[in-house]
Amino acid sequence: MIGAGGLAGIPPMRRGTLAFFAGSLLLVTGVLWAVDWEYVRALDFGVVWTFRGTLLRGYGVTLLFAGAGAGCGMLLGTVLAVASQSPLRPLRWLVTGYVEFWRNTPLLVQLIWIHFALPVFTGVNLSVNQSGFLGLTLNAAAYHTEIVRAGIEAVPRGQWDAAYALGLPARHRWRAVILPQALRMIVPPAAGLVIGVFKATAILTILGIGELMRETVRVSEFTYKPVEVYTATAAIYVVSGILLSHASVRLERWLRRSEP
Amino acid sequence: MDFDVHVLQQHAGALLGGFLTTLGVVAASLLLATVLGLLGCLGSLTPHPAIVRVSRWYVDFFRVVPDVVLIFWVYFCFPPLFGLRLSATMSGILALALGTGAFLAEVFRAGVLSVPRGQLDAAFALGIPSFHRWYQVILPQAVRRMMPAFVNTVTDLLKHSSLLAGITAGEMTYVAYTIGAQTFRYVETLSAVAVAYFVVIFPLSLYVRRAESHAVRRMGQ
Repeated sequence: MIGAGGLAGIPPMRRGTLAFFAGSLLLVTGVLWAVDWEYVRALDFGVVWTFRGTLLRGYGVTLLFAGAGAGCGMLLGTVLAVASQSPLRPLRWLVTGYVEFWRNTPLLVQLIWIHFALPVFTGVNLSVNQSGFLGLTLNAAAYHTEIVRAGIEAVPRGQWDAAYALGLPARHRWRAVILPQALRMIVPPAAGLVIGVFKATAILTILGIGELMRETVRVSEFTYKPVEVYTATAAIYVVSGILLSHASVRLERWLRRSEP
Repeated sequence: MDFDVHVLQQHAGALLGGFLTTLGVVAASLLLATVLGLLGCLGSLTPHPAIVRVSRWYVDFFRVVPDVVLIFWVYFCFPPLFGLRLSATMSGILALALGTGAFLAEVFRAGVLSVPRGQLDAAFALGIPSFHRWYQVILPQAVRRMMPAFVNTVTDLLKHSSLLAGITAGEMTYVAYTIGAQTFRYVETLSAVAVAYFVVIFPLSLYVRRAESHAVRRMGQ
């Protein structure tokens, strides 16, 4: 066989697999060897149960922020996407500028800007909860604008022409013809956005909002058992994230079945 | 409201240092993440179900965990678990690499799978040996197709690197926040940092958009 030089008896295709297998095995063994197993044996996850109330309250706040941020962000994003189709050029530029600014800077910088710098301009001091909600919403809206815009632009040209030919006023054109079709198409990316907002709520901890991550830090500092508490919280986030993505898959399937 | 540029001039050194730290953190974690991503990608493409399952676990777990949680987890749990001392920056790099690696594994996998099956069949039919099949047939096409998604992941990494401020690693956001807290000049420092992020990230996302619309047009033809 061509190229079967070095390792006699092993076909060349298998050599790469073998090298990968050996390398990964070495990596995993190295990591397992480095773990301090005495410490792992002494872990006491009972502390998570003791502070279940605190953690659950934090989880509730997380869900609240995720729901409110994603919901209001999607509403605002849809409005902005419709505005992005306006014949007025300055309005389109405004929407583009908004979207690009919010999508190309980190959410954390946006949040602390809103909390610490915005009051200088507006003269209104926001609580951390208000700043957090505002930041999440405005950020999600920028991402959702792009999603809805893609959906709107995917609605076949004939639908627009038909709406114009029937003389539908703009309000009905959007609400009865374009948006129902566009919004149906964007369910998968919109579901992805909801999961993204859910993950992003953890950033609110840096502002000091009492969501799950903040409560985790508090419990960890109080009990001095970081590994137990942080691992439990990571598990809560992972399980919620997996449940959310399963739910979005089911929603997509249900929508496809119920399509006219 | 007055915009005091003087504050920025006074702390230019510290801000520039933070900017360079951000770039360094991103470069280091991108390097590590690429290795992890390649491992995850190869693992999920092998014919061995056990390896595939382990790779999928890695990818699924680290794609779902929020970055902040990962950063705090590594910072607080690695030292006692492995009995070592980790600086905030080091654990931040490690955490970002673990998360980004999972995303890159999916990017690489999608890139390899996007090469049409016929290319592989043709390479087999021509009797091209496996090394050349990979390096001259599959990879050049796969890399071209995965480039937009790869750059997109880099922009996410740049944004997520700001989260290291949460564990007091001295990158750009943390430096700006600290200076703001000392001088009460949040508007100047935070705006400067936002502009710095935008200047770095925006060209990358422009490239992604161009490349993607180009790819869509090519597919349409």
